[in-house]
Amino acid sequence: MKNSFDEKILDEAMDWVEANKTVILATVIQTWGSSPRPIGSRMIVNEKGDFSGSVSGGCVETAVVRESLKLIKKNKNSKKIEFKVSNESAWEVGLACGGEIAVYLEKIIK
Amino acid sequence: MKKELLNEIIKKKKKKIEFTIITNLENGESCIYEKDKPIHKNFKKHQEDINLCFDKKKNGIIDGTNIFVENYIKPIKVIIVGAVHIAQYLVSFVANLNFEVFIIDPRGYFASKKRFPNIKVINKWPREAFSEIQTDKNTALIALTHDPKIDDPALQFAMNNNFFYIGALGSKKTHTNRCQRLVEANFPKESIDKICGPIGIKLGGKSAPEIALSITAQLVSEVYKNK
Repeated sequence: MKNSFDEKILDEAMDWVEANKTVILATVIQTWGSSPRPIGSRMIVNEKGDFSGSVSGGCVETAVVRESLKLIKKNKNSKKIEFKVSNESAWEVGLACGGEIAVYLEKIIK
Repeated sequence: MKKELLNEIIKKKKKKIEFTIITNLENGESCIYEKDKPIHKNFKKHQEDINLCFDKKKNGIIDGTNIFVENYIKPIKVIIVGAVHIAQYLVSFVANLNFEVFIIDPRGYFASKKRFPNIKVINKWPREAFSEIQTDKNTALIALTHDPKIDDPALQFAMNNNFFYIGALGSKKTHTNRCQRLVEANFPKESIDKICGPIGIKLGGKSAPEIALSITAQLVSEVYKNK
């Protein structure tokens, strides 16, 4: 059986937009190997760097926030980023679990 | 994504409409698509692939394209019979799981809106109440009154309509008696055996929230059982 386990991130995104925030929606669009979150998992980031939801188990959220802020600064609407297996020297960005994911960032355009 | 589109997605989700969000990852263009309705002209050439993804409930990028699709399907329905103390905890656990919840209880003092804010409470006997809910095999029944005259008709309805999960509260003895009544009512052994009774996975707790947690765990495990 299938159920769409909707984590209500889109509803929260709308609340943020209504509160006059600039909102970037990040969605997992591709996964390879043992990625922690399935395709369609989402998080949102605003211009202050506040975020909600998740695209991994805490492995790459910091990088998603950073990339989202860059997107806002450059006034661009969308971007695709891929995260690969982490190595020890760059353990902050990368997936410790050995999986790989692609995340799509898009601005909510008012 | 445009704000108007986000708004439309939220509205459709609330109305429990099934739909697909299509995004062109190249240029960021996105739209909503409902199967058997016209598709946005810019995505028309992918319609066949998009329909296939919808039928299989598959999310992802269509092979060899820059088109990402995400499907929204109707939530599973969970019908609780018995607006009792355990049901109050059950409702709060289940609230985070995107199920559509209904509570049936013919007893007015139990089935009050105050005890269950934001939940559809039907203050009727099960037979009447079921006529107000569209059920199918993606529906679960949780019988909590352990009173045969309330639980039994609900269990019988659930068995006749092939609900994917049927659970009934009560001790082993209560459950044995319940099964006996269903045998006498000519229900086949294999469908009686499918009833989870005593309800819930074995956690060991006896308080209302602990029992509600064990029922929630069993319900979710049944959702993925045959996956």
